[in-house]
Amino acid sequence: MDFELDDDQRAVREAVERLAERHAGVERARELAAKQAYDSALEEALDEAGFLDVALADGAGPLEAALVVEAVARAAGGVAVAAAALVAPAVAGRSLPRPVALARGGDPSPVRFGAHARTLLLADGDEARVIPLEAGDVAPVASSYGYPLGRVSADLGGRGESLGPGSAERLLRFWRLALAVETAGVMAAALEATLEHVKQRRQFGRAIGSFQAVQHRLAECAIEVEGSRWLAYEAAAHGAPAEAAALAAAHATRAAETVFAETHQLSGAIGYTHAHPLHVSSMRLQALRLEEGGASAHRRAAARARWAGRG
Amino acid sequence: MEFDWSEDDARFRRELREFLDAGLPEDWDAIAEHGPGSDAQVAFARRFCPRLAERGWLTQSWPREFGGADASPWRHAILGEEMWARGEPRGPQYMNVNWIGPAIMRFGSEAQQREHLPRIAAGEVFWCQGFSEPEAGSDLAALRTAARLEDGHYVVNGGKIWTSYANHADHCFLLVRTDPASKRRRGISVLLVPMDLPGIEVREIPSVVGDRYFHEVFFNDVRVPEACRLGPADEGWSVVTYALQYERVGAARYARAARTLDQLAERARERGRLGEPEVEERLAGARAACEAARVLTYRVIDRRARGLPPSADSNVARVAGTRAEQHVARLALELFGTEGLEHGSFADAQFRAAMPAGVAVGATEVQLDLIARGVLELPRE
Ligand SMILES: Cc1cc2nc3c(=O)[nH]c(=O)nc-3n(C[C@H](O)[C@H](O)[C@H](O)COP(=O)(O)OP(=O)(O)OC[C@H]3O[C@@H](n4cnc5c(N)ncnc54)[C@H](O)[C@@H]3O)c2cc1C
Repeated sequence: MDFELDDDQRAVREAVERLAERHAGVERARELAAKQAYDSALEEALDEAGFLDVALADGAGPLEAALVVEAVARAAGGVAVAAAALVAPAVAGRSLPRPVALARGGDPSPVRFGAHARTLLLADGDEARVIPLEAGDVAPVASSYGYPLGRVSADLGGRGESLGPGSAERLLRFWRLALAVETAGVMAAALEATLEHVKQRRQFGRAIGSFQAVQHRLAECAIEVEGSRWLAYEAAAHGAPAEAAALAAAHATRAAETVFAETHQLSGAIGYTHAHPLHVSSMRLQALRLEEGGASAHRRAAARARWAGRG
Repeated sequence: MEFDWSEDDARFRRELREFLDAGLPEDWDAIAEHGPGSDAQVAFARRFCPRLAERGWLTQSWPREFGGADASPWRHAILGEEMWARGEPRGPQYMNVNWIGPAIMRFGSEAQQREHLPRIAAGEVFWCQGFSEPEAGSDLAALRTAARLEDGHYVVNGGKIWTSYANHADHCFLLVRTDPASKRRRGISVLLVPMDLPGIEVREIPSVVGDRYFHEVFFNDVRVPEACRLGPADEGWSVVTYALQYERVGAARYARAARTLDQLAERARERGRLGEPEVEERLAGARAACEAARVLTYRVIDRRARGLPPSADSNVARVAGTRAEQHVARLALELFGTEGLEHGSFADAQFRAAMPAGVAVGATEVQLDLIARGVLELPRE
């Protein structure tokens, strides 16, 4: 047991943070959102620095990839980093043509980054399929939830390369882990924005962050965020075991509900505006919360992994 | 970062489990449902703790010079997890090892260390914690129980309340006001008081939590030798602060809650309800809370293993633990309808034992205050 980043891990995190400072951030996210655009420049920069393939590097794995994903998510990066850096290497054993989008077969609902993706990683029955996307496969869907979305056309099933029987399960596990990691990063950003706000906003002659009622609600948020983060790290370090990955996603998903509600409540009217940073992370939390079946699917997967075979 | 147990730690956990499997009686679960302070559990603990001590497991994380083995805090955490997961067969003894012993190591005279530490290490004694008073709960510094120094003895008058295990304890870790003119944190001292001194009276306070949970302890001209004072006179607050830091993560309650959940799942399976979506969702939601409390507690242990001073991360772990415990208890009661209302039923026992989690060992609101300042750096009111 050792909860401190080792030198390599710290180096990765710090380098991603520095890179994100230049290429990502709230300002950039606003610009991209206005155009429902994908941040190809950021993806290129991450790729060039090797961060998208970190899971395949010697002495590294899902945990290092998770650190990359978390840092990018926290910095409001508008790229499909989780699918590329954390999910694809674990499921396909190699990196896939980017951007990569994740979807479940038979589920017609919009997919994050779908309209920009070159590869679709699809859970199709028992198999995961790697599907190169062509023009017309995915229709863009307008959205206020911080990610460009696309609706995948129904007749993709059977196309592309199968990763073999049972590979869908691996995809779903790593997808859950990726969601947990991303959600933890985005929640941290929402909480940071709110902390900054309550420290400087004054009413009744004092900072609103000095009211105990406000403090306690943010403290509860911090507990949720930290719990989600460490559950996700642990699940990543162990290679996304079914139970741990699903529990991490379940916890983060529920936490996101709390963090969304509290950060908006405590930020007042300004928190709803484009001018204020909160919406960049808060709206994304809703998108993450619904993905891959949402809390109820994560929980049921966890319950089955833990209790189904026992007794 | 590294989330795997060392080979040695994993072996220790296996051996401990085998030891528990072999050493706990058939009807252990029934005994354990009444909590660490119940007569039956304490009686068992009196036999059980010395056996743990014989194996060198009870105080292995203590320094060698005090009867330990310098084992890492992780060892102690494993012990705590396995014990709490079985309903704490050490009974009230966990307090001694977690924080009373360490406080005596840090502040005790040689004579005090000689008197108390070997007995704790041998698993022979039980202690109770005499902090709270009717007027001093969350605001502990408002305590008034007085100790007047009179020819080599402190004469103690006053009363403590909510004192767990007072009925079974051999000693009390007692907070008193030694300077009558003092206020708040100044003028407080710690006394290590034998519970059989004349003038001490213990009365049970009946409660819905269970029998023998709460006591009042009255002190009527109790003469305590001055040599029983732990640490400096009138400056006992520093001793308390130190002790509480250790107390905060001592009990692996999340492990107990997780075990309760497994038992609940088993009951659901027996009734053919485990596959119901709602049952699955609720069980897993509660398990996520237990797991979050576990990793957050590990983070605190990691700090300790590095020799870093405690931080408000301990309060984060503590509130997460409380939430997990409450979550599981609510579920236990709700899952099988009104069956849980029957006295002594599984759900009833779980629910009532978890009821006070948000108040015992410091109200959640006080913990949240500490997180707001220590983690979030929010300004004081
Ligand atoms: C099961 C159990 C075992 C215990 N065992 C022991 C023991 O062995 N020895 C011992 O000395 N004590 C023991 N206690 C007492 C325990 O330490 C106190 O109950 C606790 O510190 C709270 O004090 P109180 O009950 O007087 O509540 P109060 O201090 O009166 O607080 C009541 C409520 O008010 C609110 N509140 C209080 N202060 C604040 C604040 N600053 N900000 C916001 N809200 C606030 C909280 O909601 C709190 O729960 C035990 C208690 C329980 C329930």
